[in-house]
Amino acid sequence: MTTELDNTSAVNESTVSGEASISSLGNQTAAPPEKPVKRKRNLAGMPDPDAEVIALSPKTLMATNRFVCEICNKGFQRDQNLQLHRRGHNLPWKLKQRTSKEIRKRVYVCPEPSCVHHDPSRALGDLTGIKKHFCRKHGEKKWKCDQCSKKYAVQSDWKAHLKICGTREYKCDCGTLFSRRDSFITHRAFCDALAVESAKGQAEDEPSKKDEDPKPLLIESAPQSTSTASPPPPPPPASLPPPPPTTTTPAVPVTSSVLCIAKTPDLPEISKSNNDSRPVLENPSQLVAGLTGSSSGSCSSTNTGSTSSSVFASLFASSTASKTLQPQPQPQTTGYKDLIRSMTQPTQTPDLTLPSSAQETISLCLSTNQGSSIFRTAGQELRQYAPPPQPTMSATALLQKAAQMGASASGASLLRGYGLDAGQRDDTDGGASIGLGLGVGYDGRSGLEELMMGTPSVYGPKHTTLDFLGLGMAAGGGTTNGLSALMTSIGGSLDVTAAVSSFGRGGRAGSGEFTGKDMGTQ
Amino acid sequence: MSGMAQEDGSSSISSSPLHLFSLMSLSPGIGSPYPWLREMESEERGLYLIHLLVACANHVAAGSIENANIGLEQINHLASADGDTMQRIAAYFTEALANRMLKGWPGLYKAINSTRITSVSDEMLVKRLFFDLCPFLRLSYIITNQAILESMEGEKMVHIIDLCSSEPAQWINLLQSLRSRPEGPPHLRITGIHQQKEVLEQMALRLNEEAEKLDIPFQFNPIVSRLDNLDIKCLRYKSGEALAISSVLQLHTLLAFDDEMAKKSPASKRVLHMNSQTLGDFLKKDVTSAFSPSPDSTSSSPFSLANSAKMMNFLNALWTLSPKLMVVTEQESNHNKFSLMDRVIEALIFYAALFDCLESTVPRASLERQKVEKMLFGEEIKNIIACEGIERRVRHEKLEKWVPRLELAGFGRVPLSYNGMLLATRLLQNYGYDGYKMKEENGCLVICWHNQPLFSISAWKFTRYS
Repeated sequence: MTTELDNTSAVNESTVSGEASISSLGNQTAAPPEKPVKRKRNLAGMPDPDAEVIALSPKTLMATNRFVCEICNKGFQRDQNLQLHRRGHNLPWKLKQRTSKEIRKRVYVCPEPSCVHHDPSRALGDLTGIKKHFCRKHGEKKWKCDQCSKKYAVQSDWKAHLKICGTREYKCDCGTLFSRRDSFITHRAFCDALAVESAKGQAEDEPSKKDEDPKPLLIESAPQSTSTASPPPPPPPASLPPPPPTTTTPAVPVTSSVLCIAKTPDLPEISKSNNDSRPVLENPSQLVAGLTGSSSGSCSSTNTGSTSSSVFASLFASSTASKTLQPQPQPQTTGYKDLIRSMTQPTQTPDLTLPSSAQETISLCLSTNQGSSIFRTAGQELRQYAPPPQPTMSATALLQKAAQMGASASGASLLRGYGLDAGQRDDTDGGASIGLGLGVGYDGRSGLEELMMGTPSVYGPKHTTLDFLGLGMAAGGGTTNGLSALMTSIGGSLDVTAAVSSFGRGGRAGSGEFTGKDMGTQ
Repeated sequence: MSGMAQEDGSSSISSSPLHLFSLMSLSPGIGSPYPWLREMESEERGLYLIHLLVACANHVAAGSIENANIGLEQINHLASADGDTMQRIAAYFTEALANRMLKGWPGLYKAINSTRITSVSDEMLVKRLFFDLCPFLRLSYIITNQAILESMEGEKMVHIIDLCSSEPAQWINLLQSLRSRPEGPPHLRITGIHQQKEVLEQMALRLNEEAEKLDIPFQFNPIVSRLDNLDIKCLRYKSGEALAISSVLQLHTLLAFDDEMAKKSPASKRVLHMNSQTLGDFLKKDVTSAFSPSPDSTSSSPFSLANSAKMMNFLNALWTLSPKLMVVTEQESNHNKFSLMDRVIEALIFYAALFDCLESTVPRASLERQKVEKMLFGEEIKNIIACEGIERRVRHEKLEKWVPRLELAGFGRVPLSYNGMLLATRLLQNYGYDGYKMKEENGCLVICWHNQPLFSISAWKFTRYS
C-alpha cells in the first residue's frame, strides 16, 4: 500500500536495520494514530509484504513506557499521555505535528534469535501479540495456578487458565484426568490399545527375557505379594541360583517400568537378600498382571502426578548429584514396551497413583542410593498387590501380638512355649526334667515373675530360680505405670500352639538335650 | 551330624548332649547352637526376642547383672544386625542395655569407648541417608515450607532461623517455591545453627548457589553453636523482618538436665524461672507432686516443668524475637519417662515402627539401611536406654507435652493448613510410600506408620499476653 519506502520484497534489510537502530535506542518513534483508517487484516501467518518490519530489543518489547517524548526522553504508557506532556514543552508549530501522517503497517519480529518468528517473513502483526509471544516462549513463568501448579509467563494466559482449571475433566478408565476432549480421546484410544496388546503376546516376551532361568527373575522378588495362596513350603534360599546380572536385565525393565527406575545390579541383591524363601510362581502372567495394574495406573497418572512432582522435585533432586541416573530413561521406555506386550489386562489396584510421569522426576527422586531406591520400587511393587500374608511379621505387629497373647494365656504355657512342652510331647526325658526344675512355685504367679524365672531357668542352673523369686519381686516393683501391664503380658506365655509346633518340628533334638547341655556349660 | 540336626529337625537325632554341647562352642556368628532355635519361624523368634528383651531389661533395671548377662547372651543367639526387623531391633536394644550395664563400671566403659572415632562426614552421611531412605524428613520439610509460605504471604523481608541446619534440600525447596510466588520472591535471610562448621559451610554453598540460580536475594548466616548455649544476640534480629523458626527434631535435646542437681535444689527455686503469670497456675496444682521421687513426666507438675528450665529459657528467648511462625517437628513418643522399663517399652514400640519402615522400603542387605539403623536409630536407642542425666539428650516427648510447654512460653497455636496435609499425602502417593499415613489432630499433623504415630508437626506463633 505504501509506496514511499522501497518495499518490493517482503524483507527490506535496510528498513529493518534502520528501524531497529532507531528502536534500539529504547524508544519507539511516536506512531501515527491509526484510527481513521480501517485496518486491513492480513492472512494469518503471512504478513503484508508491504509492511514495515520492526525489530525491537527485548527490553523495548517489555518496556512499559513505549511512548517517549523526544525532547526530554520521558516515557509514557499511553500515547495520549505523551501528547499531553509534549504540550508542556511549548514546541514550535511545525514540530507539534506528528512526524508522518502515513499509516504504515507494522509487523514485528521476535528478538530471540532462535525463535521462528525472528525471521521477518514470519513476523507477527500485532505488537501486543509479539509481546505475549515473547513472554510465553522465551520468558520466565511467573504466574502459577494454585490447583494444578501450571505456570504461565503471561498474566492473561494464567487468568484464562484459572477459569477452566478443574472445571471440565474427562477421566479415563485408567484414572487419568484430562481437561481437553481431544487429548482425552487420543489417550483413551491408546490406553485401550495397551490393554489389548498386553492381553496377547505375553508369551512372546518370555524368550526375550531369560537366558538360563526360565522363570523371570522378577518372580523371585515379588512372590510375597502375589501369593494368593499361602506359600508352599519354601525351598531354602540358597537353592535359588543367584541370577547373574545379565538375566536380570530383562526383568529389571519390568520392575523399572512399573516405577520407572532401572537399576540392574541391585535386583539380584534383592532376591538374595530377602531371607524369606518364597514359592516360585508357576504362572508368571499373574505376577505380570499385578505389574500391569500398577504400570497402567502409573502411566495414566501422568497428568496428575506431574503437577505436584515439581514441588517435590527439589526435595528429591537436591540429594547428591547422581549423574548415573540420567541414562536410565532410555532402557525404561523399551522395557516398558516389553512389559506392555507381556501384560494381561489391567486388573486390580486402580488406586495406585504411582507416577511414571515425569520420569525425570522419578529419576530425580532416586537421588543417591541406588540400592535402596530400587528396592523401594521393588518393595512398592510388592506392596501393590493385595496385602499378602507376610512371611515376616513386622516388628510392630509382633509387639502387639506379644501384648495380646500375654494377656490371655496362662502361666504354665509360658514354659511350654519354650519347647519344654515339645519335650513332654515327645515323651523324652529332657522335657520332664526341665519341667521339674522350673515347676517350683511356678503356677499362678504374675507374668512378671514368670519372666524372671522362666527364661533364665531354661538355660541357667536350677539354683538361680530361687534368686529370681526375690529379684522378680524387686524388678516387678520397679515399674510403676500402666505400661508394666504390657510387660507382664509379654511376660505371660507365648502362643502355645505356634511355638510348640515349631519346636515340635525341630526341637525334639534340642529340648531333650537341654539339661545335658546346660549341665555341660555350667 | 550337626548339620543334619539343624536342617532336618527330624526325630532321628542321634546326637548326644555332648554333641550339642560342641555346637555351643561354635562362634555365635556361625549359628545358634540350638538347632531348633534356628528353625524357629521368624514370628516365634520375634515374639521370643521381645520376651527376652523385656526380661533382660527388667534385670538391668533391677540391677541384677548376672541375670541380665545371661539374658543378653540368650538374646545374642537370636538377634542379628542383618536379620529381620525384630532381630535387628533386639540387636540394638541389647547393645543399649549392655552399655547401660557397663556404665556401672565407669572405668571399663570409658576404656571401651575411648578409641571410638567420630567423624563429621559419617554423621552427615547418616543424616543424609535417613533423609533419603525414609520420607519423614521430606514430609516435615514440605509441611514446614508450606506453613512458611502461607504465613509469609505478602512479606517482603523474610528471616528464617533453622535450629538444625544440615539438610539443604529443605531450603532449596523453599527457595523454589518462593520463586513462583505471585508477588515475586522476598528478600530471604536464613540463619542456620549447627554444631559443625563444615556442615554449615556446605549448606551455605548449596543455598547460595540455588538462590543465585533462581535470582532470589538471599543471605545465609551460619552460627556454629549448640542449642543449649545459643546466644540469642547472635541471631541478629532485625526489626521489620518477618521471622520464621524451623525446628526439626531438635527441641527435645533441650530437655536434658542434670538429674542429680535437680534433686538437690528445691523445686521452688525453679518455679521462679517461670513466667509470673503462670505461677498462680502452678500453685493451684498439686505441689506435693513436686517432690515425688519418680515424677512421671506426663504430669505437668512444677517439678517436671522446672526441670525443663533450660527448655523454657530457650523458648522464652525465641519468644522475645516475636516470630511470626515457628514450626516444630518432633518424634511422637514418650522416651523421657523416668523409669527405665517405661522407656524401654516405649522405645520398643516406636523403633519397631521405624525399623518396619526401613524394612518395607530398603533391602536387608543394604549397607545404607544398616548404617541408618546403627548410627542413627541405634545411637538414639543407646542414648535413651543407657544414658541418664545431662547425657541423655534423646528425650522425645509427645505432642501432648509439647503443647502446654509451648503455650507456657507464650506461643499460640497456628493450625497447619489443609494444603500442607494435601502436599504431604500427595508426596506419599506419588513416590509410592505405602503404609504411611498423615493424621490431623487439632491443627497439628502426625505422620504415622500404620496407625503408629511417629512424628508430629505443629506450628506456632508469637502471641502477646492479653
